[in-house]
Amino acid sequence: MIYELNEEQKTFQKKVREIYEREVSPLVEEYERKETFPVQLFPILGAEHLLCLRCPKEYGGPGLDKISECIAVEELNRICVGIGAGIMVQGGLATDPILHYGSEELKRSYLSPAVRGEKIGAFALTEPDAGSDASGIRTTASRQGGGYRLNGLKTFITNGTICDFVTVAAYTDPAKRGIGINLFVVERDDPGFSMIKKLKKLGNHSSDTAELAFDDCYVPKERMLGEQEGGGLGQLEETLKSGRLTYGARSTGVGQAAFEAILSYVKKTKRQGQLLSKSQAIRFTLAEMATSLEAMRYMTFRGAWLFDQGLASMKDASIVKLFCSESVQSIVQKAMTIQKNSGLRMDNPAQRFLCDGRLSKIPEGTSEIQHLVIAAGLGL
Amino acid sequence: MNFELSDEQKDIQRAAREFARGEFDPDLALELDQSRTFPESLWKKAAQLGFIGIHYPEEFGGQGLGLFESVLAIEAFCSVDSGIGSALSMVDIGSEVILKFGSKNQKEQFLIPLAKGTKRMSIAFAESEDGQDLSSLSTISERRGNEYFLHGEKRFVLSASLADSFITLCKEPKEGWITLIVGRDREGIAVHPIEKLGLRMIPFGDLDLREVQVPLENRIGNKGEGMTHVLHCYQVMGLRSAAQALGTAQGAFDRALGHAKQRTQFGKKLSQFQAIRHKLADMAVDIEVARWLTYKSATEYDQGKMEPGFLSVTQLEAGRRLVRVVDEALQIFGGYGYIAEQAIEHYFRDAWGIGVDLGTEGELRDRIAEKVLG
Repeated sequence: MIYELNEEQKTFQKKVREIYEREVSPLVEEYERKETFPVQLFPILGAEHLLCLRCPKEYGGPGLDKISECIAVEELNRICVGIGAGIMVQGGLATDPILHYGSEELKRSYLSPAVRGEKIGAFALTEPDAGSDASGIRTTASRQGGGYRLNGLKTFITNGTICDFVTVAAYTDPAKRGIGINLFVVERDDPGFSMIKKLKKLGNHSSDTAELAFDDCYVPKERMLGEQEGGGLGQLEETLKSGRLTYGARSTGVGQAAFEAILSYVKKTKRQGQLLSKSQAIRFTLAEMATSLEAMRYMTFRGAWLFDQGLASMKDASIVKLFCSESVQSIVQKAMTIQKNSGLRMDNPAQRFLCDGRLSKIPEGTSEIQHLVIAAGLGL
Repeated sequence: MNFELSDEQKDIQRAAREFARGEFDPDLALELDQSRTFPESLWKKAAQLGFIGIHYPEEFGGQGLGLFESVLAIEAFCSVDSGIGSALSMVDIGSEVILKFGSKNQKEQFLIPLAKGTKRMSIAFAESEDGQDLSSLSTISERRGNEYFLHGEKRFVLSASLADSFITLCKEPKEGWITLIVGRDREGIAVHPIEKLGLRMIPFGDLDLREVQVPLENRIGNKGEGMTHVLHCYQVMGLRSAAQALGTAQGAFDRALGHAKQRTQFGKKLSQFQAIRHKLADMAVDIEVARWLTYKSATEYDQGKMEPGFLSVTQLEAGRRLVRVVDEALQIFGGYGYIAEQAIEHYFRDAWGIGVDLGTEGELRDRIAEKVLG
């Protein structure tokens, strides 16, 4: 067992931190306030080879491993969780299924442009009545001529209003619950596809979240992932597993940001004539935060390592997601409690860390769903 | 021991609930929250119905009841909407100082308009960046004849651009700590607004005071009493915040319960899953604890025997249980919990605003420890 990043990974960590601080940090305040995603980042990060990190070189990607991806995700989320969301979907849920199950043609048409940041991807599974219960989706894809007609509503879709294409889950056979699902690539301009509304959220303000509608939206058969009807949820298995591990890094990133901010705050703030850093209770609280962060980071790296070895089960991924997304709550909450009113000012990032961190317990399987998966993985 | 509300208290509770349910429209609440606007017309109506200054004597426009009855109204308001409820609960902050230490003239001049809903009041005590630390104050009021001239900077003032007057803590070189009632319309006052995560219907801000002239008749009580006034005011605010916390927790619980009963996943209502049922059970326990501690503190206050150490227990528990209940309520809503147009998102933000007003765990524990250790 070697509990250290190798030289290559350390160099990569240093490099991505520099790039994110240079390219992303200056945008955060403005785009958080405007509640829009800075789309200009896609080509910039594409040119730096920082979109779709695990995409192989033959499709234009850097072909890195999961550990490297987690390093990058932590660094980006340390700067901004909202911007991190759009970039994460681009390199994960939107393109992973195309990489694994798409035809050569689809890879050339969508994956490679996504890697370069020329096209923005989204992923649409969740529906108003089907969140945790993904098999309960009602969107259908009915066969017609050389393709399918999609009908249904999707919600909470990251990159929803800015995407050029969206990877959509729909039932080709609604009679087969869970099994009769397929994934399709829908283009922004396909007739029958519309973005209904952009959603305002508690946090993650710079990420673009929307409701999408498919109304007799025609998709040629070539844009279905895989040859056969059915099996779409199974295709998502690897993608969701990978996404849950990514959430470990995402939670660690925002936790790290909140920790760095509170560390500097207690060193310079006096109350009752005494520096906060001299209070034993506050020293203990910061010690707990540091302990949590170490555990979160190494849980994530271990999960990523297992994934790279092809050994990660869904249970392993869920353990990482559950642990990290729960642990970060106490970090962001305690940081807020220490700062009191000043932490709640909209010009203090502490409130952003609190609301951004709160998200972790919800997407890609709520904490409750992670419990279900882990319990099932125990053979219960 | 009597754990039952009197008939009169039940009537007040019922009236407050009916008013809030009838008037606090969810769309209006959302709009006021998003646009950071005070609920002007609801404030007028609440005052007309006698909900402001319930605990003021009748001769000063109140109902002549106790703070306990005020607590019941605040709880009921916040349970229907945390934002509107909090805004209406905080229009007469500082009135406690006049009520307890003010002259008859001051009570007539300032309390009656508060109860009528024609004027609003707030406090300007702290100068630290968190708006709560009183250990380093530099606001000076120099007395020249029958006038005071104020100079200083007050931070994180509640209702900074809304209150008609502020109970202001300052030091007079000869008189020591005093509190003055300072009209916002006085020359030399500048307000710098602060945008806050929660409680958006209440405008916070920093106050700059430059040579602000205040007549002697606006000094409350005696010279040298200023800090006593402030501590008294903070105690009542602690109690009122606990009531806001209790109502907000109850409101979040009610909304989560409603959602759990109607939302189906995996072919079952959420309320049929053991994990969700246990969450709701824990939330109900949290609310019970917060409620009885708050009621006990309010009862003791009205009986004139509130122990500050015990109030800290109430504040500590009301605050952390509020945050926990609202967090779980949001979780029960899942993705919808995180969306601003939905029922629970602003409860989360408001809960943090109220939680902060209740004080930090560290400071409250310090006070409880002092009481326990003697």
